[in-house]
Amino acid sequence: MKSFGTYISKHLASFAAFLLILVLINVILFGATFYHTVSEDYGEASPRAMLEMASTAATTEGLTDDAVQKLRQYNIWAMYLTPSGECFWTLDVPEEVPQNYNVQDVALFSKGYLEDYPVFVWNTDEGLLILGYPKDSYMKITSNYYSIEAIQKIPFYVMGMLGMDALCLFLAYYFSKRRIIQNTEPIVEAIETLANGKPASLHIDGELSEIAGSVNKASQIISRQNEARANWISGVSHDIRTPLSMIMGYAGRIAANEATTDKVREQAEIVRKQSVKIKELVQDLNLVSQLEYEMQPLHKEQIRLSKLIRSYVAELLNSGISDAYTIEIDIAPEAENAMLECDARLISRAINNLVQNSIKHNPQGCKILLSLKYTEETLTLTVADNGVGLTPEKLQELAEKPHYMESTDERLDLRHGLGLLLVRQIVEAHDGSMKIDSVPMQGYKVTLSFSTLLKRGKNNVSFHSK
Amino acid sequence: MDNSFLHSKRLLLVDDEQELLKMVTDILKDAGFETVLTAASVKEAVIVAKQEKPDLMILDVMLPDGDGFSLMEQLRTFTDVPVIFLTAKDEAADKLAGLGLGADDYISKPFMPQELLLRIYAVLRRTYKEDSPLVILDGCTIDFSRAEVNKGGEVISLTAKEHTLLETLARNEGKIVTLDALCEALWGDNPFGYENSLNAHVRRIREKIEVDPSKPVSLITIKGLGYKLITRK
Repeated sequence: MKSFGTYISKHLASFAAFLLILVLINVILFGATFYHTVSEDYGEASPRAMLEMASTAATTEGLTDDAVQKLRQYNIWAMYLTPSGECFWTLDVPEEVPQNYNVQDVALFSKGYLEDYPVFVWNTDEGLLILGYPKDSYMKITSNYYSIEAIQKIPFYVMGMLGMDALCLFLAYYFSKRRIIQNTEPIVEAIETLANGKPASLHIDGELSEIAGSVNKASQIISRQNEARANWISGVSHDIRTPLSMIMGYAGRIAANEATTDKVREQAEIVRKQSVKIKELVQDLNLVSQLEYEMQPLHKEQIRLSKLIRSYVAELLNSGISDAYTIEIDIAPEAENAMLECDARLISRAINNLVQNSIKHNPQGCKILLSLKYTEETLTLTVADNGVGLTPEKLQELAEKPHYMESTDERLDLRHGLGLLLVRQIVEAHDGSMKIDSVPMQGYKVTLSFSTLLKRGKNNVSFHSK
Repeated sequence: MDNSFLHSKRLLLVDDEQELLKMVTDILKDAGFETVLTAASVKEAVIVAKQEKPDLMILDVMLPDGDGFSLMEQLRTFTDVPVIFLTAKDEAADKLAGLGLGADDYISKPFMPQELLLRIYAVLRRTYKEDSPLVILDGCTIDFSRAEVNKGGEVISLTAKEHTLLETLARNEGKIVTLDALCEALWGDNPFGYENSLNAHVRRIREKIEVDPSKPVSLITIKGLGYKLITRK
């Protein structure tokens, strides 16, 4: 989810950068277009340069030849007025332009035009030099004044404008990012759920509804495949059960038949024992696949785990286990009445798998202790034995290696059975956690922890967006 | 425990698998049951049940002309005898519990012959109690019908709670009965915090039935779990 946010940030940031580059390009293009005109306006032929040149070259008698040549080159006419408004001299002055002026005339044309010719004036000691440019070559602004206040405001205005632009850009960035994330969050979550192999349903209106449709379709395909797989396993395990009953039944009968030889009875006992293993495998396999694909509805009820443990141990002892094993329970007083919302059948199954594991791995016998503690809203159930335990390597392998049911690696060791995998799945179905500790030759301990606080159901993942 | 008084009970076995029927019949006959009837379909089972009036019925859930649950409903219209379901599905167990059909037990396939026998005995014992209500312990005899203990000629009467407690233990004789199950038998559902009262009752019962109440040999404490009653064969 975080990566998606960064992704959007990056793209929006690059969009902003692109905007900046665009502005820069505009400035450059503007410069390139107007460079020529600007250089002309302020270059050698500009009125100011011409006036300076002409004023130095002008006397009350006339202009130097050089100056005359230059003015003619640009079609500029000129005249030199005395302080009283008479002409000292004129150069190429058009006919319609008068030859003498009063004060009012000078005041008017000095700012603007003389008979539509843009004119520029230069004050000298002797008089007033006037240059007339061809019609329509310059536009003169006749009313160019600004209040000082307005001029003083310009820097603030520019800064403020830039600041506001930046703010607007940032807000646009911020809100569009938020909106995109809001709209895409459910999609990303749904895809993450799908990636975990779990079905997800997505409800989105508007432009993204098409994506929701695709996600839902993918989810349906996953569900269907999971269902087909679970049904297949359930079907096979179902069909094995009746024949297996008969194998177990007859093997048991032969093993108990006094009329046959000892050897035959021994062999029948082996058949019986092995078929019991198949029985356990078949039962576990079905439950594992049901839990794996969430096909097994959990029958959760408020249960006192203390009671459940006692009844499990009593049943185990009543069914008669070998004297080599001692089973003890230790229920902390505060755990006695603690309730857990759980599926009693599954929790019993998990406890049984752990106890049977201890029995299986310690054929020489061992002491098994089931304890229950309750601290900080967490029920901790421990099944520990003092048997052979596991080497650190084995322990690590158990914790890290995926079970063959969940792995596609064909080289995996297939001798583990399903017991511990089933325990883990049952614990996960109850939002609990499982920890395995072992010291070689000293014992093996599995700790299951469950929170008794009410939690949001994890099943039926569904995402909504508006 | 002596179950031989149950061997005269007539059993009806319903399963569509002929070979399984034969095997289970053999197991039951070997164990001592005198009459084992069989049926391979819902139709046949109803006819046999009406004619032969069995004392216990063992039904498969999957039958060619219907399922065991509906068969049970049909049977319940004319008989109240106990029913044990044989199922090849794990889910069937949930269904049984959920439907509350009133089946007495269920056994999921594959099963061990010994397990099947034990469950049949347990259901039969629950339903058809032995006529003699006498339980013989080491040093005394309990007569449940009169709520009395006879210890070396001395007759001591039992209170109602003591009677219930002893009867629950005697019904499961030789087996551990959990504290929870005993409390439930005495005080009903959710008996929180009655352990001390239970201890007090056990102490009083020991005074009545044990030769040396400080060294009990009949009513044994299983630490942390519950109690069990040892009877004399």
